[in-house]
Amino acid sequence: MTCHFNCIIPPHLLEKLLRSDDSEVRQAALDTLMTTSRLRGERGVRASFVGSAAAPGGGRRTVFDCKHSTSLPSAVFARSEDGPESVDVSANRAFDGLGATRDFYKAVFNRDSIDGRGMRLTAFVHYDKRYNNAFWDGHQMVFGDGDGKMFSDFTGSVDVIGHELAHGVTENTAGLEYHNQSGALNESMSDVFGSLVKQWSLKQSADEADWLIGPEIFTPGIDADALRSMKAPGHAYDNDLFGKDPQPDNMENYIKLPDNEMGDFGGVHFNSGIPNKAFYLTAVRVGGFAWEAPGLIWYESLKASHAETQFQEFANTTYRKAAELFGDDSAEQLAVLAAWQDVGIQISGILAGVARARSLAADRSGGTGGENGLATVSQQIGALAAQVTGLAKDVTALKSK
Amino acid sequence: MKVTWGAYGGQAAVIRLGLPPKVLDTDALSETEAVELDRLVAAVAPAAGEERPGRARDAMSYTITVEDGGRSTTLTRSDATMSPAFAALLGWLEEHFARQ
Ligand SMILES: [Zn+2]
Repeated sequence: MTCHFNCIIPPHLLEKLLRSDDSEVRQAALDTLMTTSRLRGERGVRASFVGSAAAPGGGRRTVFDCKHSTSLPSAVFARSEDGPESVDVSANRAFDGLGATRDFYKAVFNRDSIDGRGMRLTAFVHYDKRYNNAFWDGHQMVFGDGDGKMFSDFTGSVDVIGHELAHGVTENTAGLEYHNQSGALNESMSDVFGSLVKQWSLKQSADEADWLIGPEIFTPGIDADALRSMKAPGHAYDNDLFGKDPQPDNMENYIKLPDNEMGDFGGVHFNSGIPNKAFYLTAVRVGGFAWEAPGLIWYESLKASHAETQFQEFANTTYRKAAELFGDDSAEQLAVLAAWQDVGIQISGILAGVARARSLAADRSGGTGGENGLATVSQQIGALAAQVTGLAKDVTALKSK
Repeated sequence: MKVTWGAYGGQAAVIRLGLPPKVLDTDALSETEAVELDRLVAAVAPAAGEERPGRARDAMSYTITVEDGGRSTTLTRSDATMSPAFAALLGWLEEHFARQ
């Protein structure tokens, strides 16, 4: 068999053969690699081999430096996918954050970049002077350095980077309109997936995660935990300079603001606290890694939503998706039911009394205690189901190629 | 002439909403500064009005109101929609404010 490999074989084919189930094929490929490397000089061959093995499917990254201007077209190149590290810390952090986010969607949801079709990821750093913000301009990300008094560099929080890129994912799926409830849902999706990118990068369970958005972007002198807390909306900060975090965590305290710039388009960054809390509660009730069952339920629900989806409809969708993915009355579905109930949203068609009894049952068996064997088993089944869904997607993706 | 400006929205929208707008009275400016500000205001004036941010998310919006002899003009732009002239005026105002 070895002889067949003694000719020059393209590195991509060799790489495939190195992963073969047949040990003979693997050995032959390895032999060929050794032979050709002796022939061609080891460094060159290894470079081409590694290059082809690591070639990303999509989402190639480029970072530009605005040099403190607000003009994106005049920004200068800072770093690309194949180029060397930049000397600029912000450019490298943005680059790494784009990578972490891209890898998260690929590994967890088998999604190829932001649009699902390998879209290039572009970021701009050092936007404007003393700019206290980071935004998604509809196609790419832009980061400010902060004023140095209240805020520091916005590339410092990977959850903020994940937040901005999630706006691109939402735009390419549900397209939630950016005002009032659909806008607050849009914001919440960005916080959910932004936080999940961080949790996945750090391999943190729902219990271990901080559930904060932007804890790194304040200067050391500012007494604030973060921009927002998903675990405790309304408690991210309370100081003389900013006042108290006004995010509600329940429909009772939904904030009505004008649907214009000055009213944050109906308070999209305010009322996102309500669905944020519902996701957090679901995650801690289910337990384990939040990007597994809870993340999958939210991701599938986002894809099943549309431009005008409101809180109630989204809650209903998560309840339905939980059943589709994990079964009727599964621990995951009961966790979803209880979570929305706790933020003041009753799943349609479920009587409040029934919901309460079921959520109590979910509490007893699932989240808080964690000693119940049945709950553990159902969590494992949930995780397995998520893996099966992932595999099924892989198969579909392969078939479509 | 009096110029009032504020920034809204963005990641820190919730925090920013509590901050008062900034005000500048041209009487407090030097002759050169006042001339420069007049020039910058004149450059953006024809584009008065409001523009929605389109597909941008978390972009900040800026409102600049110029009051002059009983006439008031308000311009609203976002990071995603501002013209170079608007950016120049806003940048000048922020620079001036930072120096104070
Ligand atoms: Zn956002």
